[in-house]
Amino acid sequence: MRPPRGRGGGGGFRGGRGDGGGRGRGGGRGGGGGRGGGSAMRGRGGGRGGGRGGGRGRGGGGMKGGSKVVVEPHRHEGVFIAKGKEDALVTKNLVAGEAVYNEKRISVQNEDGTKVEYRIWNPFRSKLAAAVLGGVDNIWIKPGARVLYLGAASGTTVSHVSDIVGPNGVVYAVEFSHRSGRDLVNMAKKRTNVIPIIEDARHPAKYRMLVGMVDVIFSDVAQPDQARILALNASYFLKAGGHFVISIKANCIDSTVPAEAVFQSEVKKLQQDQFKPFEQVTLEPFERDHACVVGGYRMPKKQKA
Amino acid sequence: MAIAEKKAVIGLSWQPKLPATLSSASTNNNGGVNESQSQRESSLLWRPNTELVDGLFVPPNDPKKLNKLLKKQIKDTAGTSWFDMPAATITPELKKDLQLLKLRSAMDPKRHYKKSEAKSKTLPKYFQVGTVVESSTDFFSSRLTKKERKATLADELLSDPTLGQYRKRKVREIESQNRPAGNDKWKMRGRQSQKRAKQRRH
Repeated sequence: MRPPRGRGGGGGFRGGRGDGGGRGRGGGRGGGGGRGGGSAMRGRGGGRGGGRGGGRGRGGGGMKGGSKVVVEPHRHEGVFIAKGKEDALVTKNLVAGEAVYNEKRISVQNEDGTKVEYRIWNPFRSKLAAAVLGGVDNIWIKPGARVLYLGAASGTTVSHVSDIVGPNGVVYAVEFSHRSGRDLVNMAKKRTNVIPIIEDARHPAKYRMLVGMVDVIFSDVAQPDQARILALNASYFLKAGGHFVISIKANCIDSTVPAEAVFQSEVKKLQQDQFKPFEQVTLEPFERDHACVVGGYRMPKKQKA
Repeated sequence: MAIAEKKAVIGLSWQPKLPATLSSASTNNNGGVNESQSQRESSLLWRPNTELVDGLFVPPNDPKKLNKLLKKQIKDTAGTSWFDMPAATITPELKKDLQLLKLRSAMDPKRHYKKSEAKSKTLPKYFQVGTVVESSTDFFSSRLTKKERKATLADELLSDPTLGQYRKRKVREIESQNRPAGNDKWKMRGRQSQKRAKQRRH
């Protein structure tokens, strides 16, 4: 068990891991403080090896079905917070009445009788949500944006990205594995703004006819050459002055050197490919040895005034 | 006369301007208009008869006034960035809930919250109150029974049995702290009180 590193904060999302699954409620909750219980999580996290760490069968948010919450706009556009006994990150459901991966929803009856629905966004299952709770300054994914999502997996985070960009935006979700691609396609059937692409992200030429120019690339591929994959896709599809968000899993790149060194070398690699990293946040309480780097691509030179 | 008054209240219906009846009905009509104007100041649809031209609503010529009118008609929302989340009308219950949310860190000693972005007492403007809908897999693990479900957040917190004891203890503590020193029995209640009577006898 390693000592906690970096800022272990982000305590707002209590009990995010708590219920369902094998762990009883008490286990998830016993930590007491917002950051408590982190050690318990880390201990379990040690068991799992490669691949994506998306734990399955965990409920989202500690709030029980039937409880009342107040939904407020979050600092990031298109994202909301539900406040009750606990806080939870939520996105406005594009397809009301449907849950994508058995997450909890929040139904709201407006004053004029219309119904709106929000879906709880679990930071333990989504690195983008973890980055948002980690306090990233700007995710650049906002209503109306066109997003290329590399490493879509089963489409849990993709569904939330599709919620954020709304009916005017587009999400191109690239995933290589057929098995998880099946879930992705099923999800995309109900969401008109998601375009699933079952291809290797290393060969963007194969799907160049499907993807238009995009504003943001989100990359969660967890491969040793992920910087190269991102650069390749950016050269094809990302507009000049566009942005990228990449989640880096230190173990998947080099497990022999400390995580900080891996992040540094990855950022170096990005800088060589015309990327300009703006910020880096650790996803610490939610994911172990992960970092999220946000930046721009082919940024226009600043005018000298 | 009675018919004319009724028409004035309805307001939008077209009625020909008859100079003959105007003189006789004018005083009465105006009174009725003023009354209903004060009643429905906020209504956008309804205009008093005096502002209608031939019984029809004509937008004002002055662009300043027109802009003001248009601005009034746009519903207040959080903007397109948050999918036009409407501003809610704040009822007393809602206000209590929002205040409770601000002070929720005092409700449970074992629970800690992120610092609220606004330390002030200002309540949020754009928000919606919703109910959590659990998925079918959460039936046994994470669901409130029908009895446990309450209409407002305040009711929910009040009905929580685990919080009750702590709350009671805290309230007692605070009350005992704020209670003035001494005992009520020792207090002299004026000259004519029972206590003084005894002294007076001796």
